Amino acid sequence: MQVTLSKRINELLVLAVLERGPAHGYQIALSVEERTGGAFSFQHGTLYPILHRLETNGHVRGTWGGEGRRRKTYELTDAGRAELAAGAADLERQFRVLLELFGGTHAA
Amino acid sequence: MRPEHPLADVERSLAVPPRRRLDVLEEVDADAQALQAELERRGYGPAQARRAALRRVVPGTDTLAQLEAQHAPPLGRWARGTGWIDRVERLGIVVATGLAGAVACITILGTGALGSAAVLAWPQVIVVALLAANWTRAAKRLWIDGDLRPELRRRLWERQIGLIVLAVALGALGAAREVYGAFGAVEAEGFAPPAIWDAVGRVVSFAAFGLSAAIFGLFGWLALTPRLIDDETMEHRISAFFASRLPPNSSRRR
Repeated sequence: MQVTLSKRINELLVLAVLERGPAHGYQIALSVEERTGGAFSFQHGTLYPILHRLETNGHVRGTWGGEGRRRKTYELTDAGRAELAAGAADLERQFRVLLELFGGTHAA
Repeated sequence: MRPEHPLADVERSLAVPPRRRLDVLEEVDADAQALQAELERRGYGPAQARRAALRRVVPGTDTLAQLEAQHAPPLGRWARGTGWIDRVERLGIVVATGLAGAVACITILGTGALGSAAVLAWPQVIVVALLAANWTRAAKRLWIDGDLRPELRRRLWERQIGLIVLAVALGALGAAREVYGAFGAVEAEGFAPPAIWDAVGRVVSFAAFGLSAAIFGLFGWLALTPRLIDDETMEHRISAFFASRLPPNSSRRR
């Protein structure tokens, strides 16, 4: 399946946050916003399809817990760690190409 | 009027199996509460924190569509993938109705229950086709959309029961009509074993056809029952979820 660049970036952002340790959905959303200085944020529940897709693909593991009220915690799996490393390298390559292209345009 | 829970609209709109719907509701609700508390801790006022938390976590229309695509049953995901999701119900009804109707026609023609009895035989064919169409609609909602809401479920079940009763009634009426016709023939022409056996065959075929239609209707629904029971349990838990999250003074506000 073709994944758009923005979708891919969002997935990698979530994986990067979870690399620091397990977190609830809202903590992931807050952390992404803080760590990117507000450049990326999840509004209107857009985080959940990303988390659920990553869970289906085995990149994160969701666990229900909590006393009285059920709460879901996500943690990174080994597959997710590998995906983050591969994805980050891919993105770096793609952005380098883009920056060279834009740099070339400016120079012209 | 009782204030509505912020996720009530999500519950109404999200067309996924109730088990998945409950998971989404509980996850979003817990995150909304925790995020609100976190924002308040950071200096937001309660109302402002509530609004900001809900804006971040409550799924919007696009998000709901994505969640539906992700949490649809496997058949539904396949139908979405092939782009047949909008046509699948109509196609299923046409195929099931056509097959059931064709089987019914072949049975009726094969047993020779036509002629003067056609007035009752053809309605039986129509009832069988309607049973198949009704079942297909319920099955599509359960196994493809994954979302058969209690109200529609009740309507489809009532229709199914009505059609089953109608099938049995038509079978009984057809059989009675044949018995009446046979007695008339005996009175007019005397006792003729071949003709009597022929009449008995028509009586039995009418009754058997009505009974078969009823069994088809009942067993078809029985195949859906395990999922229906599970869904009903989940619907109760969803109701309990909303009931437990009503504001404490909501009854006084009415």
